[in-house]
Amino acid sequence: MLKVAIIGCGKIADSHAAQISRIAGCELVAACDREELMAVQLCDRFQIAQHFTDVNALLATVRPDVVHITTPPQYHLQIGTRCLENGCHILVEKPFTLHSGQASKLIELANHKHRILTVGHDAQFSDGACQLRKLVKEGYLGGPPVHIESYWGYDFGDATYAKTLLADRHHWARRLPGGLIHNIISHGMAKIAEFLAGAKPRIIALGFISPFLQSLGENSLIDELRVIIHDENDTTAYFTFSSQMSPSLHQFRIFGPENGLLLDEDKRILIKLPGKSRKSYAEHFIPPFEFAGQYFANLRHNIKLFLKMDFHMDLGKKNLFSDFYNSIKNDAPPPIPYREILLTSVMMDSIFAQIDSAPASSGKIAGGEIAAVHAM
Amino acid sequence: MPDHTTEKTALDGLIRPSDRILITGANGFIGLKVLENLLQRGLRNVRCFIRSSRNADQLQKIAAAFKADLHFYHGNLLSQADCSKATKDVTLIYHLAVGPGGKSFPNAFMNTVIPTRNLLTAGCAHNTLKRFVNVSSFAVYSNQHKPRLRWMDESCPLDEHPERRGDAYAYAKLHQDRLVADYCRRSQVEYVIVRPGAVYGPGKKSITGRVGIDTFGIFMHLGGSNQVPFTYVDNCAEAIVLAGLVPGIDQEIFNIVDDDLPTSRRFLTLYKKRVHPVRSIYFPHALSYFLCFLWEKYAQLSEGQLPPVFSRAEWHAYWKKTRYSNEKIKKKLGWTMKVSTAEGLDRYLTSCRNGD
Repeated sequence: MLKVAIIGCGKIADSHAAQISRIAGCELVAACDREELMAVQLCDRFQIAQHFTDVNALLATVRPDVVHITTPPQYHLQIGTRCLENGCHILVEKPFTLHSGQASKLIELANHKHRILTVGHDAQFSDGACQLRKLVKEGYLGGPPVHIESYWGYDFGDATYAKTLLADRHHWARRLPGGLIHNIISHGMAKIAEFLAGAKPRIIALGFISPFLQSLGENSLIDELRVIIHDENDTTAYFTFSSQMSPSLHQFRIFGPENGLLLDEDKRILIKLPGKSRKSYAEHFIPPFEFAGQYFANLRHNIKLFLKMDFHMDLGKKNLFSDFYNSIKNDAPPPIPYREILLTSVMMDSIFAQIDSAPASSGKIAGGEIAAVHAM
Repeated sequence: MPDHTTEKTALDGLIRPSDRILITGANGFIGLKVLENLLQRGLRNVRCFIRSSRNADQLQKIAAAFKADLHFYHGNLLSQADCSKATKDVTLIYHLAVGPGGKSFPNAFMNTVIPTRNLLTAGCAHNTLKRFVNVSSFAVYSNQHKPRLRWMDESCPLDEHPERRGDAYAYAKLHQDRLVADYCRRSQVEYVIVRPGAVYGPGKKSITGRVGIDTFGIFMHLGGSNQVPFTYVDNCAEAIVLAGLVPGIDQEIFNIVDDDLPTSRRFLTLYKKRVHPVRSIYFPHALSYFLCFLWEKYAQLSEGQLPPVFSRAEWHAYWKKTRYSNEKIKKKLGWTMKVSTAEGLDRYLTSCRNGD
């Protein structure tokens, strides 16, 4: 039985605790937050035996096998280091660290201590993402990816997080190198990193403050981002983050030399995009039937999962945590290769460097420089 | 704007007219009315703790109308330093502020309980605080096993586990009440907890969930013949202010509801007629209870595939046939309605229609 502890008892810790409690072979034994009342409320609701306000006390008393670090990212390196040094495997919420230098340090330490770490990129472990990965491995694309598109939308409309963030000038997310987008884009960027074989992608980033945020008097938080990526194998990618685009998409598209795939995380739909076209008018009549069949198959699949009671909102988290725990138990490779974690971090560094180089508060638009990035 | 000819004065006893009073959330829906009520009573040494510039123009209008030199403190209740500065020399605190919480338990808890703890710590440290008035909610009641059967009053048991019905707000408010009671008893500071029902008035746009919900595209009318525990915002503010001023009510709890409460059906009919047509479907109580039961069981069985937002406990708390008593605020606070229910509903529906 793996003993699991959570450090940081804010909003995201809830979904960790809920999914950990659904996984066999592990037990959530302690929670820690420097604000004792926050640790108490998590323990109260999830029947966790012990709470702490000090990380060292938790590590010394409970000696957990695994620690989930769900604090603001400013503390990930410090707490992660302490946990690894105390012999714990760690799962670090996204964004993994503040920058790739910190990411390298944590990974090096994990390797040195023979511990496993992973990052909370659970969108890569949704049912659709797992199916997509399988199809790519089976060669559906017909070769290495030619082009990738990743959309990651954000809706200010009903998000309490956004209200808190906008009202609080000292919110921790504002102090991140990439501000608001730093805390949000990792999921969409990690999906791209998974399918980039190269280590030195070129990045062109454009970021600006949306008219909506400007109308609220916001002059520092960039909430619109467009990125072009080109790696040394000539795979290209577009990344779009938008708070204003409607519908607010969480979509991933990948195109190979023969076929493509489209994954819609919101609708939980995976569509095959065959590259082969039919002759003449047949191209206009047969594919709609075929696509209708695919959409119907997605509906049938979703209903089947729902009836099997395996269609939870946080299914990706459960899958990621299960794979992580299995890799610990079986001494197997981590669920997310360290190369991908680093590449995601490096690409984000480059984006933030570009959008930070222009005066966002006055000129609205930031970025547009071309930068070569050395990923490894 | 206030009628200066009917200015009230501070009640004799605990608080003197020169004493400094702090209102948190003074620029909120109820806070503005509490401020106005205090100024009407001649209490001018008021400090307003505000987090954002929302309703700043209305605050200025009130200050100008009473020629009051109000102190505005812009800060964050999550900051102990801000709380310490804001509570300096304060004798009475009206704690109305509600931070954004939504459906997230940690967010609701962090924006409700932690600020309250900070405020109490800071207020008690200055040794000038005499009374703390905490604005709680009806949501903390279980509405089950009531001593007076269908009547809900202050003796109704609390829901010890609002988390099981997925009610983050109720969970946070329950723990806030407990914190206030524990802290004030230990610090020997008087406290009063007030629990308003559904506060309404111009500016409040949504229909209270006690009438029904519109989650699934059509308004599901669940209240039926239930009374809606409305309290018009001016009446609510009156009770809150009295809870800070009336002597001899240490550690008391007061529910705030108006007289002549409309039924849910009556309210919805008026809303459709006066504001705009609403497509609604009525769920009789037995049916809504059964559906809540099914949802609850499925949520448990599926380990949260459906969140536990509908349950029998939630049904008891919000949609069970209940009558509401305001005997205690009348008897112990001397509370009377400033605005009749008929007048209040008229003002509210007019403002909804005009989109105010």
